[in-house]
Parts: sequence; structure tokens; C-alpha cells
Amino acid sequence: MFGTVEKNPALTLISIALAFLIYGYATSLAKITDFMIFCIFVVAFDLLYGHMGQLSFGHMLYLGAGAYGCGMFAYHIYPDPFLSILAGVVLGAIVAALLGTLVVKTSQAAFALSNLALNEVGAYLVLSPWHKWTGGEDGLSLFFNKYGFINFGDSTFRFYFCLGSLLLVVYLVLLLVRSPYGSLLKAIKENEVRVRFLGYNTYLYKYITFIISGAIAAFAGALMSVNLSYTNTSLIAPTRNVEVIFAALMGGAGSVIGAVVGGAAFMTISNYLAVYLIRWEMFLGFALLVFVFWLRKGIWGYLGKV
Amino acid sequence: MLLNVEDLDVRYGPAQVLHGVSLHLNEGELVCIVGRNGAGKTTFLRTVGGFMRPASGTVKFRGERIEGLPLENVARMGIRYVYQDKRVFSELTVRENLELAAYATGHSLDEAVAKVVAIHPKMGALLDSKAKGLSGGERQILLLGRALVGDPQLLLVDEPTEGLAAIIIGEIVDILLKMKNRITMMVVEQNLSTVARLADRLYVMKEGVFSREIADKETIENPSSYEDEL
Repeated sequence: MFGTVEKNPALTLISIALAFLIYGYATSLAKITDFMIFCIFVVAFDLLYGHMGQLSFGHMLYLGAGAYGCGMFAYHIYPDPFLSILAGVVLGAIVAALLGTLVVKTSQAAFALSNLALNEVGAYLVLSPWHKWTGGEDGLSLFFNKYGFINFGDSTFRFYFCLGSLLLVVYLVLLLVRSPYGSLLKAIKENEVRVRFLGYNTYLYKYITFIISGAIAAFAGALMSVNLSYTNTSLIAPTRNVEVIFAALMGGAGSVIGAVVGGAAFMTISNYLAVYLIRWEMFLGFALLVFVFWLRKGIWGYLGKV
Repeated sequence: MLLNVEDLDVRYGPAQVLHGVSLHLNEGELVCIVGRNGAGKTTFLRTVGGFMRPASGTVKFRGERIEGLPLENVARMGIRYVYQDKRVFSELTVRENLELAAYATGHSLDEAVAKVVAIHPKMGALLDSKAKGLSGGERQILLLGRALVGDPQLLLVDEPTEGLAAIIIGEIVDILLKMKNRITMMVVEQNLSTVARLADRLYVMKEGVFSREIADKETIENPSSYEDEL
């Protein structure tokens, strides 16, 4: 049953939309908006990790670049929400394009750690040397223009806007991973040297994928800024990288739906478990052990076979 | 001359594996390299294929030096490599494996499928199967078929029959014989009866050097005349 969903893009999008609509109206639209934005971030991360086999410990940098690109544009230049989001995505893509020339040449531990190191540098830059533009520790409070019903101050509008954004990202990433380009990424993940011996310049494809992933992460960051009406250092904090890694593993790395399922599951645990358990992070730790040792394919990896 | 290797020295760290090895390959030939395990056959093939950089010596393909070139550039010159371990891209289907090879060379998928089906018609029924579900023999056929996609000039084949059942070995040899007239090949092989059927010329490798070159077809077809030299 679930396996059929994954094979049909229209069914995938309808299922995701229905699931979030039901979840949103059954709980809180504002909260589920956060969940959906996080899911976009997990999809971006999983494009790199699950599909191409490159684990990054520093993807928060690109989320942060999107958040600060959006926030600084709205605060210092013009508070148009769409232009601000676009500025965030462009800044994220530029940062990924610049840093990608360095990190994409590495792999495995060096790739993971060089990304973490760059994330640390980015977090330091926005906190201290660039505080005039970024607001430093206080961050930036944001207000966006309204255009008729387009009102980002309204939580219902934000919910539907973010739902549409998630569906768009899922659709585009599905198109990408199901194309020959997606096959190439899977092959690179399996054995890069042999892909090169087919005649492919694998560096180029890894670099392009890195930029696409960075831009999607930045889109999630820009949406977070718009949704929260502020941008601060928590949106670029290197310590939060574990959240997206955990969510991808939990949902099932290498599957677009798995990334969405993992994102929603992680946010559900971290938002709702905290109400009942004081040390809910410990539960997450145990859950991670279960996924690493016994459920390597993640939630969707097993549901997909049902 | 399609390939000319001269005075090739290859090292793994301080250990020298190949000692001044030279070989040539003419257009349309099928040359076999035989020798015991550890003689340096695969190292030689991998160095010609660009996977390893020699300590000294030259590898010329159509007169152009190729040692040290990036792998993708070697592949684009038309050199294909069929690996000993028979590992295909296991998470992809047979069709997707062929598609990767087709797009890399600017050819259509249909053309790639047609080439594989031509050498092994049963492969047509397996196009939508995940490659990880194929048997060892089917994987080898897929690798050979994939190597034919595009406009290959030279096929380097490492131990094509290793680990396969006798009946499959016969099929693989038949496929190599079908391919023989269409592409120049260099085959590393330990099974001397296979070598006897395939080779136009033969090099015997021992302890990192070619100890003998055999060009006489009658001698090649009589493995007992050279098996003592291995």
C-alpha cells in the first residue's frame, strides 16, 4: 500500500498534503507550519546524504544563510516577503557555490567535518564581526508587507504557503531523483570511481547537487525567518545539525517521502514529548540507537514495503 | 598500433609490483595475459586503465600518452574496463545501468539496450530488474554489454570467468568471441582453456615481468606447452 504511494508522484503529493492538513487542523496550524519547514530542510539534507552518500555535519550553515539572507533583505533593504525569501535562497546558493569548490573535493569524514568547521565559522561571523547587519546575539525582528490576502502575519496563510512550498520542493526533488541524474547520484553513492570510468566528471555533478541542496536548505531557512518574524543565531547554530541528521535517519535516508516522514516524526517527538518528559532528549538518543542498530532503513523504509 | 606500453614500473608504496613491463596491442586483436595470482596482471590492467599511476614508463593510446590522465578522460577516449569483482551499480535497474553508460557517451538508451540484447537476448527480460538481483553470470554479461555502449576502442577485461559455473563460462566465452571482431580487447585470465579459445596473442606474466610472448596460434591452443611457465 505505502510502496504504491512512493512510485506515484501525484499520490505522494496528495498524501503529504492530506497528512499535514489533518495534522494541522487536529493540533495547531502554527506548530505544523514549523514541522513542514523542517521537512523541507530534511529533504535538502537527504539529497546530499541519502541520495549522493555525502554526510554533512554543517548543513545548518545553508539554512542560516537563507534565514539571514531573507532577514537582512527585509530589515535593511525592503520588507517584501517574496523578494526576501528569494534573497535568502540566492544567498544560500552563492554560499554553497563558493564553499562547494572546497568541500566537494573531500569525502566521508573530511566532508562531514569540513562542513561542520565552515558552519562554526559562519555562526561566528553572524554573531560578532557582522553584527551590524545580522543583529548579532539579538538577531533581527522582521515585519513584512501585506498584499491583500497575502499576509504573512496570518498563521493560516503561512500554513498554506509553507504547505505549498513543501509540495513544490518534494515534487521538484522527486523529478530530480527519478531522472537519469538521480541514477547518477545513486551510482556515485555506490562507487564513484566506477562512475568516473564511465566518462562522467563526478566532481561537477556532486558540486551541482551540493548547490541545489544548499539552495533548498536556504529556502527552508528563509521560510523559518518569515514564519518566526525574526532571524537569530539559533537558525545557524552548528549544534543543531544533529536534528536534521537524526530526522533523515529516522525517516529513511535516500527517500524523499522518508525525509518528510522523518522530519515530521522528529518534530512530533521534540515538540510533544517535551510536554511529558523532562529529559526527552534521552528518549531521542535511545530512539537513534534503535534506528542505527535495528531499523537502518528508517520508518519509511519499512512502511514502503507494506 | 592501438596501445603501446613501455618500461612500466608500478609500486605499492615501497614494494615494486611491475618491473619495466612493455606490451603492444594492434587494432582488432584480442590479447590475453596469463599468470599466477599475485603475478601483477590486474595491476598492469588497472595501470593501463588509468586507475593507478605508474612510477615510471609510458602508456600510449593511439600515440597519445594517457598515464596519469583523470579516469573520465581515459574513458572518453574509448577505453572500457570490465571489473574482476563483477560489481554493477546494484541499487539501479539493468536499464538504469545501461542508461548511465549511454548518456556518458551521448548515445540513446535504446541503442544501449539493443547492443546488450544482441550479445545476450535473455537480458531483454531483465531490464527492469534491480541489478543486485542478477546472478554472477548475468552481472558479467551486463558489464560486458555496458562496456560496448558508445564507441569503445579498447576493452580491458579482468578475469571474466572467475568464480562462475562451467556452463556460464561457456556463455561468457561465446560472448567475448562475438565481440572479438568488433572491438580490440586485452583480457586477463587464469583459465588456460578459455585463453586457448580466445587469444590471438598471449603474454605470460611472472613476478611482475612478461616472461614470454606467444603469437603462434597453434602454441596458444595447446596450453600444456606454456602452463609450466606460470
